Amino acid sequence: MKTFTKNCPEAALVSARVLAAEGAPATRSASGVERRPSAPRPPLNKRGSGSLLSQSPPQSNSILLLLLHRYLWIRIALFERQLSKIIEHLVNNASRYYERDALVADPDYGSILSSLLVGPCALEYSKAKAPACFWTDPPADELVQRHRMSAGTTTPPSVRRPILNFRRSLNASSEDSGAVSSASGNTSSSTAKDYVESLHQNSRATLLYGKNNVRVQPKDVEEPMPGYLSLHQTAAGLVIKWTPNQLMNGYAESEGVDKSVYWAMSLQVCVWEVVYVHVHRSQASDALILVGQDGVQRPPIQFPKGGHLLSFLSNLETGLLPHGQLDPPLWSQRGSGKVFGRGKIRRRPMPSLCESGESEEPDWDEAAGDYVFRIVNNALTDREAIRHSLLERVIQSPPRTPRRPLASTSTTSSDSSTMSVDCPPPSVNGIVATPANNFVEQAASIELVCSTMRRQIISRAFYGWLAYCRHLSTVRTHLSGLVHPNIICREGTENGLTAELWNSMMDNKGAVTDKDEVYRVVYYGGVQHDIRREVWPYLLGYYEFGSTAEERTEQDAAYRRQYETTMSEWLCVEAIVRQRDREATAASIARLSEASGKPRPEASEANEVFEDDCSVISDNPPIVSPEPSENEQKKPESKPVLSRAPSIDEVENIEMDSEEKGKDDVTLNGETETSDRDIADDSFTELEEDDEDVYAKSVIENPEMRRESIAEIKRLAEGIVQKSEGRGLLCSVDSANININGNDKVDENQTTRQEQQHTSVIITNPSVDLVPSGSPASGGTTVNVSPARSPLGVVREESQSAGASFDTLEPSDARPDNRSDCVSPASSNGGVYSNELVESFALNLHRIEKDVQRCDRNYPFFNDENLDKLRNIMCTYVWEHLETGYMQGMCDLAAPLLVVVREEAAAHALFTQLMTRARDNFPSGQAMDAHFADMRSLIQILDCELYELMHAHGDYTHFYFCYRWFLLDFKRELLYQDVFSAWELIWSARYVSSEHMVLFLALALLETYRDVILANAMDFTDIIKFFNEMAERHDAAAVLSLARDLVLQVQTLIENK
Amino acid sequence: MSSRKKVLLKVIILGDSGVGKTSLMNQFVNKKFSNQYKATIGADFLTKEVIVDDRIVTMQIWDTAGQERFQSLGVAFYRGADCCVLVFDVTAPNTFKSLESWRDEFLIQASPRDPDNFPFVILGNKVDLENRAVSAKRAQQWCQSKNDIPYFETSAKEAVNVELAFQTIARNALAQETEAELYNEFPDQIKLNANDNGRNRDGDNCAC
Repeated sequence: MKTFTKNCPEAALVSARVLAAEGAPATRSASGVERRPSAPRPPLNKRGSGSLLSQSPPQSNSILLLLLHRYLWIRIALFERQLSKIIEHLVNNASRYYERDALVADPDYGSILSSLLVGPCALEYSKAKAPACFWTDPPADELVQRHRMSAGTTTPPSVRRPILNFRRSLNASSEDSGAVSSASGNTSSSTAKDYVESLHQNSRATLLYGKNNVRVQPKDVEEPMPGYLSLHQTAAGLVIKWTPNQLMNGYAESEGVDKSVYWAMSLQVCVWEVVYVHVHRSQASDALILVGQDGVQRPPIQFPKGGHLLSFLSNLETGLLPHGQLDPPLWSQRGSGKVFGRGKIRRRPMPSLCESGESEEPDWDEAAGDYVFRIVNNALTDREAIRHSLLERVIQSPPRTPRRPLASTSTTSSDSSTMSVDCPPPSVNGIVATPANNFVEQAASIELVCSTMRRQIISRAFYGWLAYCRHLSTVRTHLSGLVHPNIICREGTENGLTAELWNSMMDNKGAVTDKDEVYRVVYYGGVQHDIRREVWPYLLGYYEFGSTAEERTEQDAAYRRQYETTMSEWLCVEAIVRQRDREATAASIARLSEASGKPRPEASEANEVFEDDCSVISDNPPIVSPEPSENEQKKPESKPVLSRAPSIDEVENIEMDSEEKGKDDVTLNGETETSDRDIADDSFTELEEDDEDVYAKSVIENPEMRRESIAEIKRLAEGIVQKSEGRGLLCSVDSANININGNDKVDENQTTRQEQQHTSVIITNPSVDLVPSGSPASGGTTVNVSPARSPLGVVREESQSAGASFDTLEPSDARPDNRSDCVSPASSNGGVYSNELVESFALNLHRIEKDVQRCDRNYPFFNDENLDKLRNIMCTYVWEHLETGYMQGMCDLAAPLLVVVREEAAAHALFTQLMTRARDNFPSGQAMDAHFADMRSLIQILDCELYELMHAHGDYTHFYFCYRWFLLDFKRELLYQDVFSAWELIWSARYVSSEHMVLFLALALLETYRDVILANAMDFTDIIKFFNEMAERHDAAAVLSLARDLVLQVQTLIENK
Repeated sequence: MSSRKKVLLKVIILGDSGVGKTSLMNQFVNKKFSNQYKATIGADFLTKEVIVDDRIVTMQIWDTAGQERFQSLGVAFYRGADCCVLVFDVTAPNTFKSLESWRDEFLIQASPRDPDNFPFVILGNKVDLENRAVSAKRAQQWCQSKNDIPYFETSAKEAVNVELAFQTIARNALAQETEAELYNEFPDQIKLNANDNGRNRDGDNCAC
C-alpha cells in the first residue's frame, strides 16, 4: 500500500490514518500493511460481484488478528470516503500491483468494482458507531471522565412533567386492526358450543381467571346483568371475555330461546388494545372500566364485593408479564397480599401524619376510591418509534414547572389528541358490532357523521387527558406514602451533631429528651465521629430518649449478661459442630488418600490441616463453667466471655500431657455429618477391608464397654481439669461424651451428681479425642468415644496398621434416641439440642466463618481479634434467629457497627435493632420488590427522561442494579466514613422526612450519573457494571445532599398537588 | 441489530459461597489474584474478548452470590446464558455435592432450549491448597455421568488452568450459538448493512 501512496494522494492520506490508528502494535501492523503489495490479492472467485465482502480471501484458517490489520486500510479508506478513488487508482494501474488474473486487473470487473464503491463512499460513516467500539466496554470512570469533558454543564434532572402519553395514539396507528377477533358474534349453536368451550382452559388459551356473577350493563339494557368473566392468555396476548349467564347455562340449546340478543351482549376485549384500566370502588360494588386505545370506554364491569376485583387485577398483572405490565404496579402488602395503593393504606390508620396536609384530604379521598392503571406494552416493535416521537415532543412542549402539573400537561394532551385524530381509530370496540349498527351509520348523513366525529374526538381527547391525570395521581398516591407530609426546616444544622451540642442537650442525669431536635440535626448534618458511639444507640432505638445514664448502664449490663448466656449456648453447639467437621474432614482425607492410592498424608501435613481448623476456633471465648450452679450465672461478671480462653491448641496439649506421651500421634476422629455419611461409609468400607482388626474392635462395642469408657473419660477429664485449673476451663461438649451420657441420661431428672460431673467435665477439643481408639499405642483402650453417628473415621498419622475409620454404632443400634438428641450437658440449661438444630447451626456457622474471614479485610481494623468479635455477633444473632439463619450481607451490616462501638455486646444490640428493618430486604422478606417498585414510580415522576430510557430497554424495570444498595444500605457503595453518614441519614430520616430514605439515596446516586447513563444509552447490564465499578468512588456528601433535596422535591410535589 | 455480528457470550458462574467464583473470574479477566475479595452480593460481571477459532468473541462473565438463598435473584441473570460454569472447592466436599443442585436449579431457571445439551463446565478450584478432599477421579466420574461435562482443576490463586478452562468455556458457549453467520468467516468490519444499521444509533463517534 505504501508503495502506491506516492502515486495516489488519497491513498497517502489513508495510509497515514492507518498508521495513526494502529499506534502501539506498530511492528505488527506495519508488517500487516506491508504485506499488501508483496502478497498480491489472491484471485477472487468468479462470481465476484462488486461487493466488498467478496474481496476477502476465502481462507478460513488465517489468523484473525492478521486479517484485522490487513483489512484495516479498507475500513479506514471507507471512513475517509476515499476507497473508491483508491480502487480506481488500483484498477487503472493494475498491472503494477496485481497479477494478471486478479479481479482488479480484469478491465471489466475492475472498473465495475471501483464504480460500485463510489456509492458506499458517498456515505458518511464516521458518525456511525464503528463496530470496533462495541468490542470494548469502557470502564465506568472513563465514562464519567468522558462525560465531564464533553458536557460542560450537566443538564439538571429537572422535574419534567412526563409527557402525555402519545404511545396511545402510536399504538393505534401501528395497530393492525385485522388482529382483532370478533368471532364471538356467531349465533349458530355449533359455534356457541365452541365459544363456551373456549371459555375453558384449552390448548390455545390458558384460563387465568374466571368469576361468575360479574355484572355488566350492555347497551340497550336497563340494568347490569350477571355473567361470567374470564381472562385468557392466548398466543396473541390476554383476552378478557364476559358472557351473560343466559348463555352460560348449558349450551345444549334445549329451550329454543333466541339467544342471539345475548350473543350481541357478550363482551370480548383484547387487553393489548386497552390502555387504561379505571377502577372505581364504592360501597356497593367495585367497577372496572377498560378504555381502549381509541379512547372508547367499555361498559363497566362490576365485581361483587370482597377482593374479586383485586384478584382479577393481580391475575391481569401476572398475565401481562413479561412483555407488559400494569403501571403503576399493584403493591404487595405483607399479610394482605396485593393492594391498590400504598398511599391509601398508610393514610387511613395514621391520620396524625397527614394533619398538615389537611387541605389535600378531599382530593385524596376521591383518589382512594378511583385508581387508574395504565397497561404498558413493552413490545419491541414500537420502541424505536416511540423514542423518536418522544424527542419531537420534548422539543415542542413548553418548559414546565413542577408546581402546575395539570396546566402543563394540558398542552401536550391536546397534541396527543390531534395525533389520535390523525390516525382513525380502529373501529373495533371489543363490543361485538352488529350489522345493524353499521347500517345505521351508513345511512346517516355526512353532516351527522361529521358532528358525531367531532364530538367523539373532543370527548376522547378529554377522556384521554382525564385518564392520564388520574393515572399520574395514582402514581403520586403511591409516592405520598414514601415521604412525610410535613417539611422540617434545616436551619442551624450545618455542623451536624457535635459533641458540644450533644452535651448541651444532656441534662444533669445524662438524659437526652429532645429527640426531634436530635433527629433533625443528624438528618441534615450527621454526627461528629467521636460521639457516634454514644449517639448511634439512640438513633437505632436501642436507648430510649430520656433515659438516664444510670439506666443505660444498667441496660448495657443486662444486655451483656444476656448476650453471654446466649453465646454460651451456641458455643456448646459449635463444639459439636467442630467435632463433626473434623471427623468429616478426616474421613474425606482418608477416603482421598485411599482412593488415590497415595500414601497417607504425613503427620506434619495432617497436623497442619487441622491446626488450620484449630486456629479458627482457638480464639473462641471459651465457655463456661458447666457446674450446675451455672444457672445462677455465677460466672465472673467482668468479662468472662471475652477473656481469651486457653486455645484449643493449648487444651490439646494439656490433654496430650494427660495421656501417655507415646500417644502423640494424635488421632483424628472423624465423625461425619449426616450429609457426609456416604463418604464416610465408603471410606469405612474401604478401610474395613484393609484393617479387619480395627473393625472387629469397633464392633464389639457394648454397654459394658461404654460404662468403662465413661469411667475412663472421667478419670482423664479430671486430670485435665486439675491441670487446667485457673485457666478458664474450656468446657464444652464432646459429641462422644454426649453420646455416652445421653445413653445414661434417659431421664434427666434423675441425673445424679456424678453424672453431671461427667457431662459437665469435658471438654471438647474436637481434635483430641480422649481415646484414640484402635490405636495400638493407646495402651489397649478400645473404647470408642465418638459414636454419635455411625461412621467414624480415624486417621492415624504414623501407624500404618491402624488409621482406620470405625463404625461403632450399627444403624440398627438400639439407641435411636441418640441420633436425634444430642445432649448438651455443658449448656447452662442442660438443654437438649436436636440433631436438626445442630446441623442447621453448623451450616450457618460455616457460612458465617467464610464471610467473616473475607469481610473488609482490606481495613486494618479487622484483625483477628475484631473478626472474632464480628463472628460472635453473627453467631449470636443467628442463634437467636435460627429460623432465618445467616444470610450473606449480614456481616457487612454488622461491620460498621462494630467499628463504631467496638464493644461486642453493644454492637450486637445495635445490629439486632438494625436488622429489624433490614431483615425484610433479604430474600426471605419482601421489601426488596417494594423498593424496586417505588424506585420506578419515583423515577417516573422525578426524571421522565431517564424513565423513558429505562423503558426503552425493557428489562430495566427490575432495578437489580440497586439490589446491593438496598440490601446493605449502601455499605459497599461508599467508603466507611461515608457509610456512617449515610446510615445516620437513613436512621434519622425515618423521623424527619421519610421512612424510605434508602430510595432517595438510590435515586440520588442514579441522578448523579444520569447524564452519563443517558449519553451512553446504557442498558440494564451496562448500568450494573457501571455502578459496580463506581463503588466506593462516589462523592458521598453530594449524594447525601442530593438525596435530601429529592425528598424535599417529592414533598413539595405532593403538597402542591 | 441482529445483522451486526458481534458475538456476545454470556457465561454464568455458579457454586457455593467461598469456592472462588469471583477469584476465578478476576484471574481470567484481569490476570490478578487478590485475597481481599468480599462475599459477592447481588451480581457483577466482567467482559473479556477472546479469540475462539479465529473469531473474536466477547465473553460476559457473570459472577453471582453463592448462598443458595439468593438464587431467586439470579434468575434474571441466568436468562440467555450461553454457558454455565459450576465451581466447587476441592478442599470442601460439600461444595462438590451441591454441584448437582446448582446444575438442576440453573436448568430450571434459565430453561435453555435444549437442556440436555446445554454446555456446562465444572471447575474444581483451589488445587493449590494442601488439604484436598475431593479427588480428581471422583469429580471426573461425576462429570462423565452428567453427559460428559468438561472438568478442569484450577487454582485462581496460582492461575493454574484458568485460561484453558475459560477457552473451553468460550468454545462451548460459541458452539451453542447456532447462527447462520457462523459460516461467515469475518466478523463485521466491512459489512455494509451493519454500518447502515449503525447509523441510526446516536452515540460516540468513532473514526477508527
